[in-house]
Amino acid sequence: MTALRSIDVSKVFEDGFTALADITLSIEPGEFVTLLGPSGCGKTTLLKIFAGFYEPTTGRIEQDGKDVTNAPPEKRDTAMCFQSYALFPHLSVAENIEFGPKQNKVNRDERLTRLNDLLRQVDLEQHRHKLPNKLSGGQQQRVALARALAMRPSVVLFDEPLSNLDAKLRESVRREIRGLQREFGFTAIYVTHDQSEALAMSDRVVVLNGGRIEQIGAPEEVYQRPDTAFVADFIGSANLLPFQRVDDHVVETALGRLTVSGPPDDAAGFLCWRPEHAEYGVTEGDNVVNAAVSELAYQGSYTDLHISPPGVPDQRLHWPGPASGVSDQVTFRLPPEHIRFVRGKLG
Amino acid sequence: MNWRRTLLIIALLTPGLGVIVIMIGSVFYVAVMQSFGFYNLVGEESFSLEHWQKVLDSKQFSRALRYSAYIATVAAIGSVTLAYPIAIWLRRPFRGSLVISALLKAPLFVPGLVASFLFLNVIAFHGIVNQFMMWIGVTDAPIRLQNDRGAWGVVFLQLWKNMPFALLLLTGAVQSISDEVLDAARDLGAGSFARFRKIIAPLTVQAMQAALIIIFIGAAGDFAFQVTAGPTNVQSMAQYMVFLKDSFGRWNQAAVVGVSLMVLALCGSLVLAVLSRALLRSGNRW
Amino acid sequence: MVEIAATETATATKPKNPARKVGLLNRALMVLLLTVVTIWLVVPFTMAVLWSLVDPKTGWEYPDLLPPSLTILRWVEVWTTTALPQAIANSYMLAPTVAVTTLILASPTAYCFARFDFPGKGFAQVLTLLPLVVPGFVLAIFFSSLIFSLGIYSRFLSILMAHCVLFLPYAIRIMTVSFGQVRQDLIDAARDLGARPIAVFRAAYMPALLPGILASLIIVFIQSIEEFAIAFIVGAPNFTTIPSILYSYLGYNFIRPNAAVVSLILVVPNVLLMLGLERLLKSANPAQAGGKG
Repeated sequence: MTALRSIDVSKVFEDGFTALADITLSIEPGEFVTLLGPSGCGKTTLLKIFAGFYEPTTGRIEQDGKDVTNAPPEKRDTAMCFQSYALFPHLSVAENIEFGPKQNKVNRDERLTRLNDLLRQVDLEQHRHKLPNKLSGGQQQRVALARALAMRPSVVLFDEPLSNLDAKLRESVRREIRGLQREFGFTAIYVTHDQSEALAMSDRVVVLNGGRIEQIGAPEEVYQRPDTAFVADFIGSANLLPFQRVDDHVVETALGRLTVSGPPDDAAGFLCWRPEHAEYGVTEGDNVVNAAVSELAYQGSYTDLHISPPGVPDQRLHWPGPASGVSDQVTFRLPPEHIRFVRGKLG
Repeated sequence: MNWRRTLLIIALLTPGLGVIVIMIGSVFYVAVMQSFGFYNLVGEESFSLEHWQKVLDSKQFSRALRYSAYIATVAAIGSVTLAYPIAIWLRRPFRGSLVISALLKAPLFVPGLVASFLFLNVIAFHGIVNQFMMWIGVTDAPIRLQNDRGAWGVVFLQLWKNMPFALLLLTGAVQSISDEVLDAARDLGAGSFARFRKIIAPLTVQAMQAALIIIFIGAAGDFAFQVTAGPTNVQSMAQYMVFLKDSFGRWNQAAVVGVSLMVLALCGSLVLAVLSRALLRSGNRW
Repeated sequence: MVEIAATETATATKPKNPARKVGLLNRALMVLLLTVVTIWLVVPFTMAVLWSLVDPKTGWEYPDLLPPSLTILRWVEVWTTTALPQAIANSYMLAPTVAVTTLILASPTAYCFARFDFPGKGFAQVLTLLPLVVPGFVLAIFFSSLIFSLGIYSRFLSILMAHCVLFLPYAIRIMTVSFGQVRQDLIDAARDLGARPIAVFRAAYMPALLPGILASLIIVFIQSIEEFAIAFIVGAPNFTTIPSILYSYLGYNFIRPNAAVVSLILVVPNVLLMLGLERLLKSANPAQAGGKG
């Protein structure tokens, strides 16, 4: 049985804006699913539909096989972690955590057990009587997490919970969330626009764009085998290149004739390859490209090179080593197994 | 802090704050001294409790005190009670919400005497209220509604004038609560009443107290509504004070009433402030 | 026709649409509210206008729903036979003087609150609210007592002083917000570019202050025009203002048509000014100017 399911869900706001169109998505119990996409892609709207803050314009939501489409948030077995933490500013840490259990008439002993356990788990025991504004951002985030978990929800919904934290802290809270998820076994739906967060944390990534699902898959899958130009570009950096089909294994592009491993679906379209897949030191054979370097930027572990083939966007390469080793011309090989055909195009 | 800076701050504060403190302070001083027999415009000056005794013994005074306290309490609590649901309703803008809040706040800018006059027209013999009551058959002939003994007219006017003020303060406070905080409360199982009691009310308690206090003080010192629309068998504190001053220039006794009115305003606002906080406390303890 | 049929089927297929439910609720509440507001504002003001136009020959008595005939005779009569013109002159001379004086008195204190930190600042800010918490008539009566004993006999000057004190809290509050909005980086930039104090003031202060200055002037002006207690107690009987005239028609001898005329003269200019103020506050910052004590 699925933990949470959306069936043909769409959402049109009162001003006529279509935030979501025909979203069908099944989430397994205990799974960590990330909704990834740029701002305005509908990921938060979908999360709020799961939570019950919005009701879908069409379609249904099921939780554990039961239809909950019209159930308000206070009646759903979900708990949410908000972007701004949304802690109650007039209540202490302990009172914040106890709020949910009290509303749901959990008895006192059980409540205190949960409170004390959670305070220990998120390492806030010495702060239990403080007001939220006396805590650091990371601590506030952990209170918000504990407050959601105090409900013992089967599903926890995260709305960009790390976006207000600095980079170092982000990583540790990230680990903490995964740790708690393993310990409590809740199903997690996690909204983010940060692809590295999505790749690092998820069992599955759902890439959304313009209110539609672009691709669903494990992190390696969406990174290594993007289905669409959008996914390729949004996750990591990818080079997109228009092609003309020559035969089942050869295409014509702005970088010259390239051998590919599988036949393209169409006579023309886009292919993509990743900057780190270029091979250097090969000067003969298939797929060897020689081009002038138009721009370079030292990045520490590699140097980012741009080449500017005529009529297409700049193509980027990761040159292993410092900028000083780069000459005016670069020669590299594109391995056929790393060239992928993608649907759609950018913009 | 060096002395030049101190001097500069004092110099800057003098024309504004300084003038306020000196003027209000001396008015207060004059009132208190007059109530004890000093600062007489005519006759001897000497300390005496006679004026206090005379006023406190009079039936008129105790009725005025009780009446003003009653009107002020009803006006303060009534206005805030009416304003809260509207403020929550108007928290998030929707089509037409700006027009509605502007219309609701309009009475703020209608002077008290004009409000009285408008009200007197509506409840007059051939005013719309009487006409309506006759039309639906409640009564055969128009009823005299002006200066009713139960002071319903004054209460209505107080609410008409003060509800918009409470709404102004509460709307600002309610709007400053973030959507996510209220969503979080919902998500954790709080229904709409629980959200009001445990989140909205505690987070807006300062605005609520400010509204209660300012409305209470204004209504306790009311003169215009009472003289024009109030019952004729009882006087408000301000009316009684003016009456004492005007009839035979009983300034000292007027001063006693004035000081009492200030004490009433102070005590009333303290009680309301403490009470509203205490109520919330008990609400938060579950 | 086609469109209507389409919407109907659409509605039929999703009977439970919460967004529409909320929309409907809001619309119902709005209709209810507009009705209430009509009773609350439109009817009373219409009746006031009608009363000011009642023909004295035919009158307006029970059971007429509307006056039998209308005329502007009342307006002419009130204007020519009563002290109203003098009262209008008094009010409209007093109010601008009060507005300007209050602004001048308030600005240094507001500047100090906005740009300095000093011990006891919170307490000082609360103290500025004093005039708002002293009941108006107590203030009026003992202020009049005070000026008698000080030997000040000019009614105009007395009311001016009292009004300034009474309305200083509003002006200080508004100007504090305005001075707070002056951006230090603009001041620094202007000085860095070699501007003299006057040029700094014009470049950095003026744009931020202007809405506040106008708002303060308008609010104090309106309040001064409307103020009754002090104008009545201190001014009576020699110095009449519009509210005291209105009071004389509402008090022991109740002359309804005259009161209607004076009410309208009192309210209409203020409403127009308020509309202007609304614009200003929107361009400045309404949330802050609204002010939590």
